[in-house]
Amino acid sequence: MMKSMLLVVISVVVVASVWAQGPVCPPRPMPGSLVVNPLDLYSQNGALNVNLTLQNQFGSDQFEHYCYVYTDSMGNQTEAPTLRLNPGDQLNLNLTDNIQPPYFGPQKVQKPHMDMQFPPPPVKPTNPDCNGGMLMGGSTNMHFHGLNIPPVCGQDDVIYTLIQSGDPPFPYSFQIPSNDNPGMYWYHPHAHGNTTTQVDGGAAGAIFIEGTINGTQGLPERVFVIRQQFKNPNSWLPGPNQLTINFQPALFPDAPSPFINMQYGQQEFWRVANSSTQAFLTLQVIYGTTPQNVQVVALDGVPLNPPITENQILLAPAARAEFIVPGLPSDEEGVFLTNGYNTGPVGNPNPPQQLLKMFGTTNSKVEPPPDRGSSKPPAERQRFAGLLTQQPTTQRNLYFSEQTVGSNGPTQYFITVAGQKPKVFSMDAPPAITTQIGAVEDWTIENHAGEAHAFHIHQLHFLLMDVNGQPVQNPELYDTFTIPAWSGSGPYPSITVRMDFRDPQIAGTFVFHCHILDHEDGGMMQKIQVNPN
Amino acid sequence: MKKLFTLLLILGIWILPATSHAADKSKASSSPIYVITNDDGTMHSYATFFVAGGTQNDPTLTFQQSVNTQGLGIGGGFFGTPRLTMLPNSSTQCLYVSDAGTGDVAAINLSSKTLVGNFSGSINDIGTSNGIGLAMNQNYLYAGYTLSNTIATFSVGAGCTLSFLGDITVTPLNGGWIAGMALNGNIMVVTYIDGSIESFNIANGIPIPNNDEQNSAGFAQTYFPDSVDITQDGHFAIFGDAAVPTIVEVSDLSSGKLAPTVMYLVSLPTNAIGPGVNSATARLSPDESLLYICNSQNGYVAAAFFNTSTGKVTPGCTSQLLNNFYNPWSYVGGLQTRDTTGTGNVLYVAEFGSSIGIVNVTSTGTACTLTEVAGSPVADNSSPGLLSIQVAPPRPF
Repeated sequence: MMKSMLLVVISVVVVASVWAQGPVCPPRPMPGSLVVNPLDLYSQNGALNVNLTLQNQFGSDQFEHYCYVYTDSMGNQTEAPTLRLNPGDQLNLNLTDNIQPPYFGPQKVQKPHMDMQFPPPPVKPTNPDCNGGMLMGGSTNMHFHGLNIPPVCGQDDVIYTLIQSGDPPFPYSFQIPSNDNPGMYWYHPHAHGNTTTQVDGGAAGAIFIEGTINGTQGLPERVFVIRQQFKNPNSWLPGPNQLTINFQPALFPDAPSPFINMQYGQQEFWRVANSSTQAFLTLQVIYGTTPQNVQVVALDGVPLNPPITENQILLAPAARAEFIVPGLPSDEEGVFLTNGYNTGPVGNPNPPQQLLKMFGTTNSKVEPPPDRGSSKPPAERQRFAGLLTQQPTTQRNLYFSEQTVGSNGPTQYFITVAGQKPKVFSMDAPPAITTQIGAVEDWTIENHAGEAHAFHIHQLHFLLMDVNGQPVQNPELYDTFTIPAWSGSGPYPSITVRMDFRDPQIAGTFVFHCHILDHEDGGMMQKIQVNPN
Repeated sequence: MKKLFTLLLILGIWILPATSHAADKSKASSSPIYVITNDDGTMHSYATFFVAGGTQNDPTLTFQQSVNTQGLGIGGGFFGTPRLTMLPNSSTQCLYVSDAGTGDVAAINLSSKTLVGNFSGSINDIGTSNGIGLAMNQNYLYAGYTLSNTIATFSVGAGCTLSFLGDITVTPLNGGWIAGMALNGNIMVVTYIDGSIESFNIANGIPIPNNDEQNSAGFAQTYFPDSVDITQDGHFAIFGDAAVPTIVEVSDLSSGKLAPTVMYLVSLPTNAIGPGVNSATARLSPDESLLYICNSQNGYVAAAFFNTSTGKVTPGCTSQLLNNFYNPWSYVGGLQTRDTTGTGNVLYVAEFGSSIGIVNVTSTGTACTLTEVAGSPVADNSSPGLLSIQVAPPRPF
């Protein structure tokens, strides 16, 4: 009798403990350990088939973890693998939503009331997850950041697609454009209202479109996904947070630094994604005490021609940089850091932080990626080719602005087309801009707020033409770009970008927004409808 | 005879203001005007006293002393939350300053400029997110705690002491938090910064809802009342809205409850977002002819004309960009008038980031000017983020 009672008690305790813990994410590296590349998943025979499960856990580090879990054929689980595909390949990704309550850690301040009804699409879809619905704590979807693919449910739609916890696996299936640029992209949740929480929890991974980037052949390759985690991602108060590099907290000098071992004298090819929720990174490599010039070969997934040499790279939240790092001299050590960024008079703190330490070795294990025979040039004209010489059909003016009830927030965030009324974005709002396939437009985007913002548009890259009214000498393509804070007087900081709506694949409705995710969730987003011809 | 009457009338018109002015001057010289801050410091918090001096055209502000509240602030919060209060009469000797970090109210004797004590509500009263608002009458002091959404009631005792009586929980309609507070007679009006507002009957001390909680007219356009002021006769409640344009809302209180608000567009900001953004704080002049508005987010103050009979608000004037906006201070907090009569003549403006702006006011009744004076702003070095100030003697309502 006693024995059976004890068993019952033990069973209750075990069940209660499992319930309290919820889904379990793979363990993340401890501070001070070796930084390794994420697991690579390669397409084979023109396709990459992958199953990911998004789940959450309140970690022992007192941060809420949201993890994309990949389980291999042996049952081993890995978080946020890197997806590698060639131009023209098919990505078949089944996403299972296993997010479980509680959605937030203890003692967290909630945002203001924020019910969001995702609208149904014009044509009723067969998959109910493509039919909008009410945003719940466990709702999610996926955005393939930077890929120039259709805004269609099952491809790269974030307006009508809403996956609920417990739904059957949601099938994403699309083809990488055969003429797309080789480079670094990334995937992350984009369910408006939940984006900050989930990305803050770590739900982000890299995507590479394979192909030759001049000067990088044969170089050891490192992939760094820099994330940011807040103790309380849902608070408007800029509270305790930390940057992580491949999930390892970068806390030096308060904790041992993440590190890598580099072969003395060996150049390396580094591919870095700023997958933070709001950090502007000013990346720098220092050997000894000397900042190093690095050769930047691609930005936001687009190779630069010619490459540029920089000793510091500004990456807006969501931006990527790919660069060649010079060899570490013998008997030297190095550091990779962000120098911090002035986000403006009312911007959040964005301090410097050492991201990792580099030690020299004579037997580094880092290898070049396998040669997958993808070095042949694209069969078709490169994406966005000739955009610089296109005559724009329309000029538009937009601006970022904010309105807050107090110095600590909460704040209403706006991105507004000039002449329209500033509005907090709601999912059922009509498009702020309507255009059509074939259009080439120049947009001037100003920042009227006292903090920096990061402009991003889905489905396409834009050509940066002017900064603060001054023409850019060598315009490059981006999908995310920083607009510094307004100083309180004088002209508003601005960029002018050229938008390419010529590709019929991107017809549909999609969004543009600030990629500070708290701002995006807070309403700094609008829709654009691109009508087919 | 008629000529004599006219002469006497003219003499009277000439003499009376002169006499009154002389009396004011004499009063000013015998009892200094203090501008007092709630420094809201997170390591130490002070009420800092400045003496207002100079002339109408060249007003000055001179640091006198800081009184340690023995509590802690939070270095910021809602723009429309009043963090200092005192009875609206010139003989009052008690000043109350909230300590949002430690959750108490510090009582300070104005004559001696010494701390009388710290008074706390219940353990449920928490204001660490955005501050603790204060409002009082002869018998009671009310403290609105922004995080817990509670209003604590204290009875006012001898020697500025307070005794906690109890607290109530408020329930904003749209998930907000208590922010602005003002009272007049038996009615207290509060804002919840989510578009909803409510009034309470305070005749017997602890507030009793008047069952008039409602969304303001501006709510539909995401204009959220932040601060609140009430006319001297208790006829109207006036709300300063957190809004992109300069918006104030007015509610008729004559029924003893909040009537639906009427929204007034005071100014459209330049380019839809320039000077005139976010009218979070609105406060009447002593003679109620002008409504002063702090454009919290763009560094300006504005004034609108107020009709005490109808409650109508009409556009008036806007200052130039206040000195040092965004470098180093970044938001306009609350404001107070220097004088207790007329337009108040001089505005003291709390600047989030350790300074007080000084703005001269002129008004003809149909036109006005707001001019920041040379030497403005004056540093308040012990505040990391100044949002609330008080003037003693205070406006008489």
